[in-house]
Amino acid sequence: MTDQGETAGTITILLVEDDAPTCWRLQDALVKAGYEVRTAGTLGEARSALNDAAPRVLLTDLRLPDGHGIELIRETRRRFPETEIMVISALGDEESVISAITVGATGYLLKDAFPTDIATTVRDLVAGHSPISASIARFIVRRTQTSVEPPPGPALNTAKLTPREIDILWGIAKGFSYAEIAGHLGLSRQTVPGHIKNIYRKLEVHTRSEAVFEAVQQGLIKL
Amino acid sequence: MSEVAAKPIVSSWTRRRLRLSRLVPYLLLQALIVIASLLVLRLLQPSDPEDYAVSEFTQQENGATKTVALPHFTSSRYSLDDPPLYSGSFMLTGADAKSAWSVFLPRFSNAVEVAVNGVVILDSRRDDAANRPDRNTPQIALIPSSLLREGTNGITVRLFVWGPLKGFLDTVYVGPDEALRPAYERRALLFVTLPVVFSAWQAILAVILAIMWLMRRHEPVYGVLAVAMVLGVIQAFLPPPVPPLSYSRLAAVLLASAPIESALIVVFAVLFFGWRWPRYGLLLFAPGVIVFVAGLVAGPPLPRILFLALGIPTVGLCLLLMACITATAVVRRQDAASFTLGCAVTIVLTCWGHDMLSVFEIMPNERTFVSRLSYSAMLVAIGAGLTWRFARALNQVDSFAGQLVARVREAEERLKASFVREEARARAAALADERTRLMRDLHDGLGGQLISIVALSERGNTGATITDAARAALKDLRLVIDSMDDIGGDLMLALGSWRERAAAQLRPHDIALDWRITSQQGLPLHPELRPWHVIQIIRILDEAVTNAVKHAAARHVSVTIETLDGADGQHGVIRIEDDGKGFALADNAEAPASGQAARGLRNMKSRAARCGAVLDIGSGTTGTRVRLQLPQRFPDTDAASR
Repeated sequence: MTDQGETAGTITILLVEDDAPTCWRLQDALVKAGYEVRTAGTLGEARSALNDAAPRVLLTDLRLPDGHGIELIRETRRRFPETEIMVISALGDEESVISAITVGATGYLLKDAFPTDIATTVRDLVAGHSPISASIARFIVRRTQTSVEPPPGPALNTAKLTPREIDILWGIAKGFSYAEIAGHLGLSRQTVPGHIKNIYRKLEVHTRSEAVFEAVQQGLIKL
Repeated sequence: MSEVAAKPIVSSWTRRRLRLSRLVPYLLLQALIVIASLLVLRLLQPSDPEDYAVSEFTQQENGATKTVALPHFTSSRYSLDDPPLYSGSFMLTGADAKSAWSVFLPRFSNAVEVAVNGVVILDSRRDDAANRPDRNTPQIALIPSSLLREGTNGITVRLFVWGPLKGFLDTVYVGPDEALRPAYERRALLFVTLPVVFSAWQAILAVILAIMWLMRRHEPVYGVLAVAMVLGVIQAFLPPPVPPLSYSRLAAVLLASAPIESALIVVFAVLFFGWRWPRYGLLLFAPGVIVFVAGLVAGPPLPRILFLALGIPTVGLCLLLMACITATAVVRRQDAASFTLGCAVTIVLTCWGHDMLSVFEIMPNERTFVSRLSYSAMLVAIGAGLTWRFARALNQVDSFAGQLVARVREAEERLKASFVREEARARAAALADERTRLMRDLHDGLGGQLISIVALSERGNTGATITDAARAALKDLRLVIDSMDDIGGDLMLALGSWRERAAAQLRPHDIALDWRITSQQGLPLHPELRPWHVIQIIRILDEAVTNAVKHAAARHVSVTIETLDGADGQHGVIRIEDDGKGFALADNAEAPASGQAARGLRNMKSRAARCGAVLDIGSGTTGTRVRLQLPQRFPDTDAASR
């Protein structure tokens, strides 16, 4: 089913999804767009596929029969830093997307997205443009607002975000287009997606020791 | 008596019995106190060195000479000329001459001039304390050794008397100084130092009580006692009127102090027990005032005569009144204060009686006056008692304040607990409300769509209709989940998500979504915005977009978000316009459920009404315009849906 041969210029995608119809649907859309797609139904299959060759893009569901997609994302991020990772989500809810972002994912794909949108999203991702939805932006910026008790949902450290990045997130959350945001903030329209990828990277918590180091750097912990 | 006042039939008899049962033991106790006081007075009578007593004297008075034995009373005199002269003698042996010898006069009135072998060695008139008839001042004088000779020595005592009291000369003691001095010291301690000490205490208490009265004007009891004490102090420290030397009218008026003081003490007792001061009670001050006026205007003997005739009986009367008042108070109140005061009054009364008996020579005595001393002691005791009461009241205030603080804290705790309960209840109610709404929202959208998917599948329909229904169901699920998020009253955050969904919905149909926000802020903030408001508004917008896709065959859909300044403040407006073919709005409005579009329009109207928003829909051949004007304030209750 998978084509091991990797030719130059062809973008390889590892698609991890346990629901067969969904998997077919996504695979069809991606293959039609000219991508080379390998699929895996379980965490184990995904790991063996990763051992064979590193894909350019990893698309993974979170709930898998033999484990959680979060582990796969973390492993992939550690082993293949060049691989772009996206989480496949049914609803695009903050809970799953944010927890994937904190381990290294740089975007998400809705399971019911139209085939053209699926292909476009992957293409943008490979081009360095991480997609972000208004609700995810909203979730992040609301975490940057100081509040006494931590809000519900996954833990998220927004301390590294710059005011400009937070402004961009506010614009996205309120439904402004990239062009409008760039206009408001005096940026070039092309730089906005790069900012978003930076934001994702800043939200990523690599390891425990790294988190401690960052906390010390940010003055959150005093040694 | 209030406990029996409720039963008038038996009250009189019961009351009398009750009173008697309380009075009799009290009176018996007072009798015991009288006996005890007399015994103590006897026991405390200072003993004198009888070995050196000289009591055989010849008295020369008014030209007559007679032999007398001391102690001796002379008649009352008003002139200092030719005072009674007592001549006696004492023996001095050679062995005695080695030590210093003294003359010791334990008691005399009013003044003495003592000469040994014709040389005057003591004149008590120069000693103010000694001139007080009420103070039993002793005198001692060292006899210069040059005056003494072996064998018989002569001693003469000139007794100055100023009436109306009779003159008195107690036994004279002549002997070695070391033998006489201790007796003198003992008497001086009792009758000179102790009164001064009491007066000093009185002065201090007077200041304290005066301050208390100044700070608590509604309690005149402190003021009355302070005045009585001040009078007593002035009387004690100012020199008394002494005839031969300077005569001061101010000193003379001080004779009035005793009756006025005693009257004040009666006033104090009445106030202390909380009774009304009777108007005729002021008569009690009359004797004191009379003596006072006499002291101001008349010559020396009159004030003293008046004092003896009016003042002393007044003091006695006042003491008797005090005894009656305290006895009544004891019967009525049965408390420690009245009881103690009653006992103190009985002691002073006994001392006063003792002095009276002494003055009138009814009782064999040495004319030792003790009333002033006992009175001072009583005043000091009362003052100390009042101060104690004041301090106790302060303690009560403290503990009351403490109790108050504790109670306030308790009430606070209760309030807090009830507040927490109330809050939890309100939270639970809000949660239940929210759950109900969520269920309704899921039922409205998702439920119906899933059912239509089931129905379509069962009919074997595999076309685009199932896809549409499933997509609608997913969209609605996302809407409900999205609206649950806390957006902090900023509707723009909900519209941002909706824009993505709408764009995704329009993209397959090649319809462009033109999104315009006229101001950077977008829409005004609505802190009262609740998830169900958001759902209603987004569904209105969804309906409008769906109509544009399904029925109007539009190529462009534009969404304009703006904030308008109205007369009553800012309100947001969302406009959705398409360039489709529109639909015959006015004609079809009356036709119920004639089509999906009409049902959709009705739904939109009712949703807008539930949010307090105004929905205007205009449709023509050039397109459809939906204008949703948001309210100034979103309603708290979903009244229209109930």
